[in-house]
Amino acid sequence: MKRLFFAVLTIMCSTAAHAEKIKAPIHIGIGVAQTSNVALFGEEQVNGAKVAEAVFNAKGGINGTHFKLVYQDTGGDEAGAINAFQNLINRDKVVGIVGPTLSQQAFSADPIANRAKVPVLAPSNTAKGIPQIGEYIGRVSAPIAFIAPFAVKYALQENPKIKKVAILYAQNDAYSTSETGTFQESVKKQGLEIVTTQKFQTTDSDFTTQVTAVLGAKVDLAVISGLAADGGNLVKQLRQMGYKGLIVGGNGFNTANVFPVCGKYCEDLIVAQAYSPAVVDTNPVNKEFVTEFRKKHKKDPPQFAAQAFTAVQIYVEALKKVEANTKNKITQLDLATVRTELNKAIRTGSYRTPLGEISLDKEGEINQKSFYVSRIKMEPNGKSGKFLNVK
Amino acid sequence: MTTAQFLQNLLNGISIGSVYAIFALGYTLVFSILGIINFAHGAVFTLGAYLTYAMAVGQFGINGLLSGLSIPVQLPFPVALLLGCILSGLVSVLIERLAFRPLRNRGGDALLALVSSLGVALVTVNAIQYFVGSEIYSFPPEIYGDIKPAITFSIGESVVVIRTVQVIIFGVCMAVLVSLGFLIARTRFGKALRAVAENPATASLLGISVNRFILYTFFLSGFLGGLAGSLVGTSFGVAGPYFGVTYGLQGIAVIVLGGLGSIPGSVLGGIIIGLIEAFVPPDYSAYKEAVSFALLFLILMVRPQGLLGQSQIQKV
Amino acid sequence: MAEFLNNYGFLIVTVVQQALLGMSLYYPLSAGQLSLASPGFYALGGYIAAIIGTAELFAPWRDLLGKAVFPLEWIIAGVASALLSLVIGLPALRLRGIYLALATIAFVQIVRVISLNLSITGGAIGIFGIPQLFESRWGYIWIFGPLLAATLLFTWRLEQGRIGRAFRAIREDELAAEAMGINPTRYKAQAFIIGGTLAGVVGAMSAPFLNTWNARQGTFDASIAYLAYVLIGGTRSLWGALLGAALLATLPEILRPLNDSRLIINGMVLVIVSIYLPQGIVGALARLRGAGKKKGVPAGGKT
Repeated sequence: MKRLFFAVLTIMCSTAAHAEKIKAPIHIGIGVAQTSNVALFGEEQVNGAKVAEAVFNAKGGINGTHFKLVYQDTGGDEAGAINAFQNLINRDKVVGIVGPTLSQQAFSADPIANRAKVPVLAPSNTAKGIPQIGEYIGRVSAPIAFIAPFAVKYALQENPKIKKVAILYAQNDAYSTSETGTFQESVKKQGLEIVTTQKFQTTDSDFTTQVTAVLGAKVDLAVISGLAADGGNLVKQLRQMGYKGLIVGGNGFNTANVFPVCGKYCEDLIVAQAYSPAVVDTNPVNKEFVTEFRKKHKKDPPQFAAQAFTAVQIYVEALKKVEANTKNKITQLDLATVRTELNKAIRTGSYRTPLGEISLDKEGEINQKSFYVSRIKMEPNGKSGKFLNVK
Repeated sequence: MTTAQFLQNLLNGISIGSVYAIFALGYTLVFSILGIINFAHGAVFTLGAYLTYAMAVGQFGINGLLSGLSIPVQLPFPVALLLGCILSGLVSVLIERLAFRPLRNRGGDALLALVSSLGVALVTVNAIQYFVGSEIYSFPPEIYGDIKPAITFSIGESVVVIRTVQVIIFGVCMAVLVSLGFLIARTRFGKALRAVAENPATASLLGISVNRFILYTFFLSGFLGGLAGSLVGTSFGVAGPYFGVTYGLQGIAVIVLGGLGSIPGSVLGGIIIGLIEAFVPPDYSAYKEAVSFALLFLILMVRPQGLLGQSQIQKV
Repeated sequence: MAEFLNNYGFLIVTVVQQALLGMSLYYPLSAGQLSLASPGFYALGGYIAAIIGTAELFAPWRDLLGKAVFPLEWIIAGVASALLSLVIGLPALRLRGIYLALATIAFVQIVRVISLNLSITGGAIGIFGIPQLFESRWGYIWIFGPLLAATLLFTWRLEQGRIGRAFRAIREDELAAEAMGINPTRYKAQAFIIGGTLAGVVGAMSAPFLNTWNARQGTFDASIAYLAYVLIGGTRSLWGALLGAALLATLPEILRPLNDSRLIINGMVLVIVSIYLPQGIVGALARLRGAGKKKGVPAGGKT
């Protein structure tokens, strides 16, 4: 017991130093879900961040000073996110954090970072109110799918005879419920009739009831807002049970994870994208990202990876701005100053990222201009596929 | 609801229900002999699906220790399925040896079995993620041979469509249920098993090795869990290391509904829960889970022993 | 010191909070009832605090009361949980052993699904931006700490008195207890309601502590976690829940340096601890002391 007490005392004394200088390599924190059932997304984020670390350090990091990504697993819950953030902030002394994976976790952990005056860039939080948590909180994940109207227009272009539409959405997923609202508006604007609206759960796997309703309504277009596992299964079951019309999938479908789920039935699915790995000719950063990602993983990067890459890229470029603004190397500044200056720098200017040209407004909300529509093209074996850009 | 819709839901419900039944039987077998709920059963379900996938398809993704792994030899699906189930059974036996038997031997609080089986589940699920990541894996439809994706027949003017996979799954489940019924009701092995379940002390006096029969039971339980997981996997894909969790919980509702420890009860309970899920209108699909648990609560209030169970057993 | 608390304050308060939730399960268990209902009441209490703290409807209350709105939240959450545990408990407590456990799991699931679908509870996203009682996470020790101390004292007094004896009698043999003139239904309901109320109050305190509240707070996993605290700590001592929570809630954090494999090791520890500490930590400590003094298990009785 006595020994324990002294151990605790030692830890307390050793961490009591104030106004500490930053040592190279500069630490940037990645606090995403590497375990739990959210890890499906967290793993993609880690993969994207790792590519960013390699790419930007190879280019000299921050004006010659290398940076290091420090990972702390948040798990899938709120307490885990707080613990991971506390570790990143206090022990790993990161200059800024990329994370957490879920919006619910962000509402729990972001206030902690905000109070500690540590910048946070959310790579995947799309709920309303995230940047409003505080002045240190921003995001690179666009909250509403601006792309919905384009995807619907594209479907009409493909088949001008479309009259009747079925809407399907995952009711327990916040992103899907808000996305379906945008979809429904644009369907109505195009003068189409919504003949059936079907809800499902992201935890569902059998969609016979929904598919039967869609088949019974004799629609020419089905618009789905869901995530990879449930959405993919829905597409598969629609096709298996004989649905012949077009299908538009929301942003949740923008991951190679849907390929194994719907297999050959993914063919021709129209997907609304906030990121496209196919846009490489006009976007050199994306070209580099896609090339490196392919080299490592032999497949195209998913949106979550691109967003994590983008978040790291913003930190790197903003850190350079901090050096320019303060006329000091980052390693000559103390941690608190860097964090504050970094947060200011993030919100100035724009960034050429894999997501296209983006900027963050004063509040920390992303301003993204490029959205895409693509169609899925499966390989003959039905195991893997590609998103082909159509807009 | 039209006749066609009704039939559609009925077929669908029975098909899902038959998988629930198979899965829940795994819980029931262990409960009937040890009087505990094996929380690791959901993890065995998941593991079974991964094992069958590894042998039948063998392509892994970009995460985990085995990232990029591609097993060169692929077995025909029926063989892979059988092996997957046998391996799941063996894993289940291992779980009994590591997490249950030591507890019995050391005379710990019987409730601790809940904690130790939960620990095993945690290890299994996270080990899966550690090795092959959280990605979604899926069986190509060709594993069942060259079949039509759906079967269509008409009733009067309306059409009923059912996915062929579901019919196959239903067939497999029925075949397994019938053989299991025969095994337990008609063979010497079954008699001995029932004797152990009835009263272990008497059974051991009769010269039956109780511990060995417990192992057999765990093997059967794991076999059924792995089978259910693999079948669900072929129908919906293997959606990450946690895809057994929902089934794990739903399976508990099934066994209580049917009657804890009752084998026909598990089958009936599985079919009923399957039907409920199929008949809840999609608009209320959000409450689907709540409906089965509300039913579970009500059943416990009016008939705690479940539909086909015998009077209350004082076990955990 | 400040640095240490910045980093580990949250974890330490979490241990206290989890210990309280373990206690909420300990009362029914000490009367022989395996109830896993606590996460349901915990969720309810959290929602009550979150709604009072954020909803437009309650703005006048917040303006009028200032910080005093927090104790009011605890009281309302406690009363609501007590009432709900009465409603659930009266029918459910006729069940025994695993049947009661399953009925209470069903209750937790129903609460979860309902709160996932109501608009007042914020649906899947839940309620966020909950007003804070303290700036730092460590500050919350000043509410959870006293609550734990009060709970331990209350429990100790309870166990010394008539009610505690009745609980133990029912636990050992319900029929015999009834023959001795103890009304089992009454005492079982009391134990259940005390547990439910405590979980509700802890929930109300936890909503600001976690900054946000959603349907993921009250789950089946939580039920089993709380049970594990009591079982690993020791079911026959009021210290069990605290010791169990201290071990199990810190374990994932202690194992944090292992990254990817930390939950695998965590699971192994659960198995090993259940096997090698069959009487829980309290039992093991008592045996250690007993080995020196040749005395029996102090808090126990037969097992």
